[in-house]
Amino acid sequence: MSVTTATAHQPAIEVDELVRTYRTHTGVIRRRRLDVPAVRGVSFNVASGELFGLLGPNGAGKTTTIKMLITLLLPTAGSARVMGHDVVKETTEVRKRIGYVFGGDRGLYDRVSAMDNLRYFAELYGVDPSEQKRRIGALLEMVGLTGREQEKVEGYSRGMRQRLHIARGLLHDPQVVFLDEPSIGLDPVGARELRQTIKSLVEAGKTVLLTTHYMFEADALCDRIAVINDGLIVAHGTGADLKASVANRTIVEIETFGVTSEAVEALRADPEVIAVNIEERDQSQILLVQSERGTQIMQRLLNRLGETRIGKVVGREPTLEDAYVHLIATTSGADGSAARAAAVSV
Amino acid sequence: MASLTRNARLIWRVWQFTMRSFLASEFFILTAVLQPIIFASIAFFLFQAGGDAAGEQTLLYAALGTGMMGVWSTTLFGCGGAIQWHRWEGTLELLVAAPSRYDMVLLGQTLGSSTFGFYSILATIAWGMLLFGMPLNASFPLLLPVALAVAILSLATLGMLLATSFVLYRHANALSNLLEYPVWIVTGMIVPLSLLPGWLGPISWFLAPTWAMEAIRGSAIASEPPVLAMLICLVLAGVYYLLARRVLRFVLDKARRDATLSLA
Repeated sequence: MSVTTATAHQPAIEVDELVRTYRTHTGVIRRRRLDVPAVRGVSFNVASGELFGLLGPNGAGKTTTIKMLITLLLPTAGSARVMGHDVVKETTEVRKRIGYVFGGDRGLYDRVSAMDNLRYFAELYGVDPSEQKRRIGALLEMVGLTGREQEKVEGYSRGMRQRLHIARGLLHDPQVVFLDEPSIGLDPVGARELRQTIKSLVEAGKTVLLTTHYMFEADALCDRIAVINDGLIVAHGTGADLKASVANRTIVEIETFGVTSEAVEALRADPEVIAVNIEERDQSQILLVQSERGTQIMQRLLNRLGETRIGKVVGREPTLEDAYVHLIATTSGADGSAARAAAVSV
Repeated sequence: MASLTRNARLIWRVWQFTMRSFLASEFFILTAVLQPIIFASIAFFLFQAGGDAAGEQTLLYAALGTGMMGVWSTTLFGCGGAIQWHRWEGTLELLVAAPSRYDMVLLGQTLGSSTFGFYSILATIAWGMLLFGMPLNASFPLLLPVALAVAILSLATLGMLLATSFVLYRHANALSNLLEYPVWIVTGMIVPLSLLPGWLGPISWFLAPTWAMEAIRGSAIASEPPVLAMLICLVLAGVYYLLARRVLRFVLDKARRDATLSLA
C-alpha cells in the first residue's frame, strides 16, 4: 500500500515496497535459522518541508524503516531514496543531507563535555572549520544549553541529553531530519519544549520524519501520519482523517476494580461492541469500550460486567488515540497476515 | 588536495578527541600509569638477577623492551576497547552514518591509542633512571623521536587492521587479550629474537612491533642507525592500512546486512 503526496517537486523521501528481514539463530548444538520479518513492504513519500509521522507500537518496524533510510541497514527488498539519492548505492550523498536523532541515553560521549561532543561531530559531519564555532553556538542557544556546554555529559539530565542529541543532529544543517522517538523518557515540560523545537525545524524549511508511539505528539506536530503495525502501514492520512475512521463511534470509559478476563470477554461478546481496550492504573482498570451506540447501551454493558466493582462511567467522543488503538488492535496478527489483510486507507 | 587536507584534519581531530577521552577515563589512566612501572620493575629485577648482563646498555635494552610491551598493550586495549566503548555509548552507528570516511576516523582512533601508549616508554625509562640508576645515553638522539613516530604509525595501522574485526563481531575484542603475550614474545620485546626457535622468525618479520622495537632500540643503543627497520615499519604500516581499508569496506557492508552495528 502506498502513501503518496501529489507534489510538483520531487519528494524528499521516497520509499517503495521496503522490506527488511532479520536473520537469527536458536539453539546451541542444533542451530536453527530464523528469519524474522521486521518491515514487510512499506511505501510512502514525504514532501520537502513536510513533517511526517510514523506511528506504531514497539516492534512495529519504525526504527528499522528509519535505519534503512539513514543507510545503517540494507533493505532485504524494495528501494528508498532521500533527496533523490539511493540509500543503498549513494550512501555518502544521503549521509551529507540527513540528520539523525534518537531518544534515550545512548549516542553521546559521556566522559567529555557537550562542547567536545559537538566539536567532534561537527568534524565528522564535515562542517567547515570556519563555521563550526558559530554553528555550535547557535545550536546551543536553540536547544537551551548555552552556559552548560563545558559540563561533562554524564552529569546531564535526560532532557538535556535529548536537547544535545538534537543539536548534534543539526550540526551540518541537514535538509532531512530523522527523529526516532525523541521524546521517550522526557518529562512533560521537556517533551513540550522538544515539540516546540521540532516545530521550529519545519518552520526553518527542514523535512522531518518523526517516529513516536505517542498519539497526541503525532497529532500536535505532523502534517500527515502513517500508522505502522507488524511491519506494514495499516492506515495513513492527516490526524483528522484518522479520527474520521472512528467518528461514528462513541467511547464508554468504565473504571473497574479487579475486573476479570471473563468479564472483559463478556463485554467483547456483546454484538454492538466493536472493541474493548484496557488501561491499567495503580488500583483500577479503565475499560475503553468502542461501539456505535455507546451511551444508549451503557446499562447493558454494566450488566455484562456482573459482580465487578465499578467506579466512574463516562461516555465521550473518540480521540485520535482511540483511532490508533483501534487500528493497532484490529490489525495485529501473529503472522502479520491480519495486518496485511486489514490494511486500510483513510 | 582539498580532500587530503580535509582527511588530515579529520585524523588530527579524531586523534585529539581519542586522547581527551582516554585522559577522562580514570580506569585507563590507572592502567596506563601502573602497568609500565610493574613491567619495568619485573624486567629490571630479572636482568639484574642475570649478574654481569645487567650493564648500563642492558638496562636500557630492558627498559625499551618493557616500554614497548606497554605500548602494544595500550594499542590493543585501545583499539578493541574503543570499538566496544562506541558500541556501549551507542555512537558506533553515528560514526558509520556520518559522511566522513570511516577508515580515517578509525585511523585517528588507533593513532590516539598508540600515542597514548608511548607514555609507557617514557615512564619505563624514568622509572629505570630513578630506581635503578640507568643512564640515558642514546646512540642516535636525533633519530630516536623519528623511530618513535614511525613505531606509533606502524602499531596504529596494525591496531586498525585488528579493529576492523571488532566492528563486525561484538566479542572479537576478547581476542585482544590473546594477542598480548604472544606478540610480546614473538617480536623480541623482552627476549632477544636470536634466543627464540628459528621458525618464529618469519612470523615476527610480518609484525610491525618487531621492527618498531628494533628501530627504537637501534636509535638508543646500536652502533649503526636503524634505517632499514624504520623503512620496513613504514612499508608494513602502508600494507596494514591498505588491508584494513579493504577489509573495512567488506565489514561495514556485512554489518549493514546483518544489523550488528547497534548491538552493545
